Amino acid sequence: MVNGRRRTGRADATRAPGSPGAWDAGSEEWLTGVEEPGTPDAEVGETRVVDVQPGEVRVVDVQLGESRVADARREAPSVADARRGWDAVSREDAGAASRAAAAAAAGAGAAAVAPVSGRKPSAHVGEAASAVREDSVRGDSPYGSEPAGSDREASAYARGGAAGDRKSSARRGAVDPVKALMHRHRELCERAVDPLEIAAGLEAHGVTDRTATRFRHRDVFSLAEEMYARVPRAGDPAPQSEAPDTPRARADWALLTLLPGALCAATLAGLRFTEGRPRLAVAVVGVFAISMGLRAAVRRGPLRAARAWHPTTSTRAWTCGLLAYALLGDGLLAAGIEGGPDGPPTGGPDSPWPIALASVLALTLAVVPAAWCAHLFAVRARRRLATSRGLEEFASSVRPLLLGVFGLFLCALGGLLAGSGAWLGEPPAYAAAGALGALLLLARLLTVHGFTHAPAVILAATGTAEALALVSVFAGRLPGCSLLARPVETVAAAWGPGSVPALVCGGAALVLLIHATRTLTRASAHAAHGDTP
Amino acid sequence: MDNRPSRHRHVRIRSSRCEPPGQRRLPIREIGGALVRIGLLTEGGYPYVSGDARLWCDRLVRGLGQHEFDIYALSRSEQQEDEGWIELPPQVSRVRTAPLWTAEDDGVGYGRRARRRFAECYEELAAAVCAGDAPVGSAAFEGSAGAGGSAGSAVAAGSVGAAGGGVAAGGASAAVADRFGSALYGLAELARDEGGLVGALRSETAVRALERACRAPGALRAARGARVPDLLTVAAQVERTLRPLSLDWYEDDGLGSVDLCHATSGGAAALPGLLARHFSGVPLLVTEYGVQLRAHYLGAREDLEGRAASSSARALLAAFHGRLAAEAYRQAEIITPGNTHARRWQERCGADRARIRTVYPGMEASRFSDVGESAEAADADTLVWVGRIEPAKDLISLLHAFAEIRKDEPKTRLRIVGAPAEGLEGATYLAHCKALAAQLFPDEADGVHTVGDNPVSFEEIGGPEVPTLPEAYEAGAVVVLSSVVEGFPISLVEAMFCGRATVSTDVGAVVEVIGGTGLVVPPRNPRALAEACVSLLRDPERRARLGAAARARALELFTVEQNITAFHSIYLDILSRCPVRRVLVDASGEPLPFAIPAEVHVPGRWADSGTRLVAGRPGPGWAAGPPVRGVPLGSASGAASGEPVPAGEGAW
Repeated sequence: MVNGRRRTGRADATRAPGSPGAWDAGSEEWLTGVEEPGTPDAEVGETRVVDVQPGEVRVVDVQLGESRVADARREAPSVADARRGWDAVSREDAGAASRAAAAAAAGAGAAAVAPVSGRKPSAHVGEAASAVREDSVRGDSPYGSEPAGSDREASAYARGGAAGDRKSSARRGAVDPVKALMHRHRELCERAVDPLEIAAGLEAHGVTDRTATRFRHRDVFSLAEEMYARVPRAGDPAPQSEAPDTPRARADWALLTLLPGALCAATLAGLRFTEGRPRLAVAVVGVFAISMGLRAAVRRGPLRAARAWHPTTSTRAWTCGLLAYALLGDGLLAAGIEGGPDGPPTGGPDSPWPIALASVLALTLAVVPAAWCAHLFAVRARRRLATSRGLEEFASSVRPLLLGVFGLFLCALGGLLAGSGAWLGEPPAYAAAGALGALLLLARLLTVHGFTHAPAVILAATGTAEALALVSVFAGRLPGCSLLARPVETVAAAWGPGSVPALVCGGAALVLLIHATRTLTRASAHAAHGDTP
Repeated sequence: MDNRPSRHRHVRIRSSRCEPPGQRRLPIREIGGALVRIGLLTEGGYPYVSGDARLWCDRLVRGLGQHEFDIYALSRSEQQEDEGWIELPPQVSRVRTAPLWTAEDDGVGYGRRARRRFAECYEELAAAVCAGDAPVGSAAFEGSAGAGGSAGSAVAAGSVGAAGGGVAAGGASAAVADRFGSALYGLAELARDEGGLVGALRSETAVRALERACRAPGALRAARGARVPDLLTVAAQVERTLRPLSLDWYEDDGLGSVDLCHATSGGAAALPGLLARHFSGVPLLVTEYGVQLRAHYLGAREDLEGRAASSSARALLAAFHGRLAAEAYRQAEIITPGNTHARRWQERCGADRARIRTVYPGMEASRFSDVGESAEAADADTLVWVGRIEPAKDLISLLHAFAEIRKDEPKTRLRIVGAPAEGLEGATYLAHCKALAAQLFPDEADGVHTVGDNPVSFEEIGGPEVPTLPEAYEAGAVVVLSSVVEGFPISLVEAMFCGRATVSTDVGAVVEVIGGTGLVVPPRNPRALAEACVSLLRDPERRARLGAAARARALELFTVEQNITAFHSIYLDILSRCPVRRVLVDASGEPLPFAIPAEVHVPGRWADSGTRLVAGRPGPGWAAGPPVRGVPLGSASGAASGEPVPAGEGAW
């Protein structure tokens, strides 16, 4: 019976329903084929029941016929209507109805004829028959209440099919059962990316292979394939309209970034109003507080690096060294070239060599623009990530963004330098402090996005270069080593002592900038990393 | 076989072990029997307290005490790890666990050659994933898509495509599967040699390779529209799935020393088995009670950030998981689905039909034996429904059917036994059902002087009426199952164990389970359900016969013993057909040519060489000394410390 139905399905397609006569002949052939059921077909094993027992296969087969009959009724007011409606459009003749009846008859017949153990299969015959009978009784069926008997059933369907066509097409608009199914599982079909997804979804809604036979498919998979093929797809899916969840500006980190600048300003005020030993204490406490403030400021918000990317201790030490050079280095270098220094700096106007307090104040205050620039960069990059189609496109759109953000930071830093210089009455070291600020910003940006190697190397190299510059000046005093101090002295003489860190940091910042334009424009740098860093 | 000398390996994903190898329990040797060391691979399951399928694994391990089990468990969440393990029987000699939910980038940066190697492998992987024909016979589907239109033509195209184009499509998909496999093993070898795969799988190289594969001609249609966020999502998910590649489990003293890998589910759990097979030639057995690929389709549709993934990303991920499943099925020596439904999915995903053996889940039958063996003492007019109350069980339909039954058999009662499913939905549904029952059936009493009650009662296990589950089944003459969606119907099997006649709906594996020993009606058909119930209620003789047949069938197919025996014989079957062949070396690292006697490869009983020497028979002088200890090649360092011979060789 399974075999017969499958062949029927193939015949549907190869021989299009040209004329009713041809169909009737074809279906006649199947009907006659079914008239001698009984030999349990080897292909029944195709149902893939594992432990096939003699009684079992037939039960399954009866079920096939039965579920065919009964499932249709769920959608339609009566199964007869559904069957008629379906056939009315797809076939336009009564052939299919007779085929369906043949299937039902075969189901019952197979069970009746096949070797029976106990009474079980016969119970199923009764059920199948009663289900069919029940259907014909139900509703306003034209078939009347024929007594249950497979032959008479078949003839009843064959007779009634043609009569019912006209009525049903008027009563029921959706005549394509698969279309109705697709309508019911609309969302599933539209969302599905391949037929298996539809198959999984259908099965989760209780559609089984036996249900699929009602849609003239061998199993759920082929039904799902048809549904997948029939889902209208208008070209490319529309781009997602939902806004990407970009990081938001939050009060906590916005306030925390103010902390280093405020602490630095407080320390400077303290230094101004104290003398002697208290001043030293204020300086020590101030340095400690500022370092703690810096630490807190980069622990949250856009400057936060994931745990695995935390800078190493040596990188932190080099950063501190660079800041210390910005504070003391220029004065020390100048004093060294002139033969000094003659004593420790006091930080006041009578100090033997000057301290660049304005630079440090501006740099600590610059944590605020740095954080906002990093935030801006992250937000904009994330937004471009969501809208760009290719990696190249993303890179080329992020590159100007990166340069713009970098320029913005430089402007802000310049302003801060000018302001703090005016407040403290010092000439601002635009070049040196600006280059250092740029270097630190780039190093932090790279670290935040997971590129820890280059910043570590560059910061170490910069620190080493600056230290070497200082050492070379003092080493030049040794007899016979005056050559060592010559380059630094030449530079300092030409552009002033501030040019040494400006050159070193500027070069390093340039290298990092070039590196950043290659790495920070990668999409993988902006990926959300879920559970892991 | 991996003949390379052992070398220093990088420390990779954290992996804990139960006890050091030096303290391992000596294997139990059964005289004449085979001792097998089984590597049980689990993902989010046994031995964790909150694991899936831990009951089944526990029964299996306890039931096969003559074998030795090494458990390799992947945990699914931190919470699962914190909850700890269940108690392990002594035949579990080692437990190694690794988290799937987190991976630390070990910070290994690749050199130029390693980078090139990675790029090649990943490109192959991406190309295989994006290749146009999906892993599951979509050639036929493409044909039907072209034909479009009505149902009939789609069927025709499908069947013609399956018949005609099947060969060509099969050849192409085999080539793609080969590519995927070789790329996967290439990545695994890279991780084994160099480490640092976690970082590399998320690097720009990987994303670029994915992009190129998506834009390549002949790529999946859905993949062509992949945008940058989709690529990132896919790369992250692929990294997550491939985390087992970075584990240090595939050494010769790890999975290399077991005789057989048994993956208790598909997906991530099968991945270590695949690699063990690749590195050490260990045969793989894959058991799936629920198909992982199907779970993937039904499961999370979100990326790592919790947003809905786009269709391109889902298409790529579906293709990736499909290929992975296909590779597992291809390499597995034997695949054991838990029911026909799983089997169909596996065949669909490319499993070879000849290698599939269905092993039904086993259930504890003894607690139902009293009920099953006793003569029918139940109230002849009572229907029982047992299960968890949720919408998929379609109790509404059952109540309507019961109304029909009451028309024919007014004395009938219906007892609904079960607790509502967790969550609001279950409770709402229960309340709805109760309200419907109250509407349909007014309370009734025997006479004017007695207090009436409703013919439909809702009870829970452990209540005063039904203290235990078997008593719930005992209470009814007929057990009814009215689900519209069902996987493997456990309550039906329990009813069969109790020897009860059943009426069930034709959903899920019901027909497969019940065989011919109960009545089956279509789902959502209260009238058919009612008729079947009435016919059984009126015929006690038939009830008894069906019940007895059901009990016999259940005892034959669904007992724990059946399950364990089936796995035992599958183990021995695999080992007899494809034993692991290992090269043994002596303490100085020289290979021992005849360390494994020829009898090893002959299935059946053979005497242990150790017992002969202990017997002290006179023999040639060179045989008098203690035998040279052999260890597998590659763990020569362990040989110096006198590590015993890995168990497998002794027996096989």
